[in-house]
Amino acid sequence: MRGLDIERLYDGHAQPLYAFLLNFTRDEADTRDLLQEIFVKLAREPQLLDGVRDERAFLIRLAHNAAIDLMRRRGTRDRTKENFAAEKSSPFAPTSDPDEKIFRDELAIALGELPEEQRAVIHLKLREGLTFEEIAAALDIPPNTAASRYRYGLDKLRGRLRPLYEEMKKAE
Amino acid sequence: MMNDETEQFEQRLSRQTLKEIPAGWRAEILTLAREAQAARHATPVTRHSLLSTINHQLSTLLWPHPKAWAGLAAVWIFIFALNFSMRDKTPMVAEKVLPPTPEVVAELRQQKILFAQLIGSSDVREAEPPKFFPRPRTEIHFEVLTT
Repeated sequence: MRGLDIERLYDGHAQPLYAFLLNFTRDEADTRDLLQEIFVKLAREPQLLDGVRDERAFLIRLAHNAAIDLMRRRGTRDRTKENFAAEKSSPFAPTSDPDEKIFRDELAIALGELPEEQRAVIHLKLREGLTFEEIAAALDIPPNTAASRYRYGLDKLRGRLRPLYEEMKKAE
Repeated sequence: MMNDETEQFEQRLSRQTLKEIPAGWRAEILTLAREAQAARHATPVTRHSLLSTINHQLSTLLWPHPKAWAGLAAVWIFIFALNFSMRDKTPMVAEKVLPPTPEVVAELRQQKILFAQLIGSSDVREAEPPKFFPRPRTEIHFEVLTT
């Protein structure tokens, strides 16, 4: 069993995991707890990484499972509360451009209205550039499900943001 | 047209800058992870003995209704205890009796013959044990056919 270089692991993957978890949970405190849980788990059980070809995909899978467990522990009441958390923890960085700020704010709210599983697929497709097969492997779902979740999610976002998006396109 | 629009929309979404992970988290998370690593090295790997494995498996099996299983076990123990205490402890008579000596056997036979003679002479032969003379199978078969 090899020694685990936890610093290398953190520096290489913490940022994308943070973005994924924040987009999924919409809560900074939950995201920090989950990140902690993942890295402590890896420190305790370094053998989990034995034979893993794609560390990022494996860590995303671990993060997704941890987030699902958290949701289950919380139960339905908090999950409903979680749906209103879009304004609380936006996954986007602040910007000085007023138009861009409006778009990001609206996008954060629209993403918050999607089911978390659709949010996860959209994030992995657009931010991590994963294929549907890779997303399916990471989230433990069939590729067709990943593709349909992406399509439904994207359609909802487009419907929700269409007026704003078209207005911005005209202005450009 | 529709595909172009979708692609543009996707590009727009993917261009949005995401929040950076708070810098303070690194030290906090890595400290906890190193502590977990140290604790892992400090505690030797314990191999579960066969007994503890059986115990664990049994606990898993009996967990849904532990009181009911304990009650059932108590009833069985009571039944075994009752059965054990009611066992006949006196030694078997046959164990104590010695085999008769040839003199005793001869004496008994003599008395039987005498008794038979007192009752009637025809019973004398009956009192004596029948002697067995093996005969050929063909003879037995013939006997059966004639009767």
